Amino acid sequence: MKPAPFSYERPRDLDAALSMLAASTGSAKIIAGGQSLGPMLNLRLVQPELIVDISGLAELKRAEVSGGELVLGALVTHADIEDGRTADVTRGAMRAVAANIAYRAVRNRGTIGGSLSHADPAADWVSALAALGARVTLRSLTGARTMAIQAFVVGALESALRAGEIVEAVHVPTRTVSSHWGYAKSCRKTGEFAHAIGAVLVDPAAASARVVIGAIDTTPIVVTDAAELFGGRIAADYKQRFDVSVADALLTKAGIDDAAQRHIHVSVLKRAVLEAAA
Amino acid sequence: MTMIALHVNRRAVELSAEPRTSLADFVRERLDLTGTHLGCEHGVCGACTVLLDGVPARSCITYAVACEGADVTTIEGLDADEVTTELRAAFTREHALQCGYCTPGMLVSARDLVLRLPDADERRIRVGLSGNLCRCTGYVGIVRAVQSVIEARRARNIAPQADGGRTHLGPAGSGRATSSREELQRARQALAPASESATPGRIPDFTPATVLDQRFTLPHPPAKVFAMFDDIAAIAACLPGVSLTAPPRPERVEGSIRVRLGPIAAAFEGAARIERDPATLAGRIVGIGTDQRSHSATQGEIRYRLVPLEGGAATAVELSIGYTLTGMLAQFGRPGLVRDLARRLIAEFAGNLDRHMSGAPSRSAAELSFWSIASDVLRARLARMFGRVFTGKGSAE
Repeated sequence: MKPAPFSYERPRDLDAALSMLAASTGSAKIIAGGQSLGPMLNLRLVQPELIVDISGLAELKRAEVSGGELVLGALVTHADIEDGRTADVTRGAMRAVAANIAYRAVRNRGTIGGSLSHADPAADWVSALAALGARVTLRSLTGARTMAIQAFVVGALESALRAGEIVEAVHVPTRTVSSHWGYAKSCRKTGEFAHAIGAVLVDPAAASARVVIGAIDTTPIVVTDAAELFGGRIAADYKQRFDVSVADALLTKAGIDDAAQRHIHVSVLKRAVLEAAA
Repeated sequence: MTMIALHVNRRAVELSAEPRTSLADFVRERLDLTGTHLGCEHGVCGACTVLLDGVPARSCITYAVACEGADVTTIEGLDADEVTTELRAAFTREHALQCGYCTPGMLVSARDLVLRLPDADERRIRVGLSGNLCRCTGYVGIVRAVQSVIEARRARNIAPQADGGRTHLGPAGSGRATSSREELQRARQALAPASESATPGRIPDFTPATVLDQRFTLPHPPAKVFAMFDDIAAIAACLPGVSLTAPPRPERVEGSIRVRLGPIAAAFEGAARIERDPATLAGRIVGIGTDQRSHSATQGEIRYRLVPLEGGAATAVELSIGYTLTGMLAQFGRPGLVRDLARRLIAEFAGNLDRHMSGAPSRSAAELSFWSIASDVLRARLARMFGRVFTGKGSAE
């Protein structure tokens, strides 16, 4: 249970980190809080030659509201969000998600950027941020690009990160006052990775809804125009109109063959809808 | 190997380690702080939970090298912590442990819950402890213990602190390190190695874990004995294993004490504070010391009271000796054997005192040990034997 030997560098700033990453030709791993990479190193599932520790970089620890969105540096921890050390533009949605990630000792080090980079389909931010309509900025020595969360996670532990690129920031849009938020997950044991996640952002006043079915062993199902899940239109009575058969069909289409698994996912999504409507 | 400089239990530490060394292995193997336990080694079981910059973190999936400049507090560093002291009492009362393997991590997480939770809600406590696995006691006693401490503190109007006192963004333990290339130089300049801080500046009061009461009598009047107790150099000379490292002042003394119990040997170096009350012929010596070899620390206290005997011609010295051991030696959980050692130590001290006060030279007793006692016995036997031989010869001539 000890990692294979690796070299370790602590770059002085983000540019130095990117240079180290670029020079390593793929044998380096970035570490921040290490709450996902640490276990994999200890289990020797990952044996990088070089670990580049970015946990001290102040430029990735910012949290500011600008232009109607919250910009969170990659190093903001789950506990930072849970405790409200960062501004909240989601009217409590992100705080509640953060508070139920793993355990407090993990949340004190685990970062939002690290969680996304790890791209575990069962991770909370992958689903929750997709439902909130968040975007992510990736930076390399050649520049930066920004994309939607659902485009960033391309498969199980597979992200859109190219060699030499790291997650720099997460952009979370301000949640409208009229919107409802529901988030539910099923874990065999409290704090363990979820076996099913449902996240819904419904705005009956704007007749819009974003729905995410997550933790399905691959990139989550993100429905940005979810009217069909609510009988064709989204209104104040969306709770009654929620159509489990449409959700079931989405899961079948995503390749979930096991009816029991689909039942769990649909039930968890229904819990999220009920929470939003409560 | 990389040089790592950080603070562990408020002590500056600078040691080299491989980058792959976890913080848990670092404190256990390099600092002998074996109270931090390793269970799963991949962040699930919680046995290795320590405080990193004051908040709980997994030391098995946090690498020591990533903690450059951080404040680490292991279970050993929580001995005097107020909340942990209350939790220990509650764990004892509620039978919240059996084998104790999960307990160090459990206490660190429980302490965090006590600080943060607004009330003793059972569900929130259970969720809060879900990252600490216990495989033998079950959680009923643990949850009750945590509940009782939260209830008691809230009843005393101690407000919860929802953020656990953290104000910085980013991973706990990060942020005070410089980049790898500047690190070595800076660490060498800024921090003195731990071994140089043997003598503590301030000697705090403490509640001893073990208290032994002893009594002996001296054939000298109380006032004379009390005056003798003020002669620190003389008293030290009478104490087996004690030597002074600096000239004593009336209120403070620095020195070392060597003790040996079977194969266990320790030399505690430290300082003591001296208090005297002539009105009641009583006094107190409070000391603190560390043993470099075993990385153990002790706090000790000797309270004495002189009671006149035989109309003031003799004195009963009533001693109350309290001590708390931490570190490797604390794992030797046999207070009975320590009590026996103390009894022998005091008997020898009393003998030396009496000889000194009667004007006889004190025996040199550099170290109290089984061997010195055995050799005493041997010497006495040899003396008797030779005595008999000589006497026999004498009587034959």
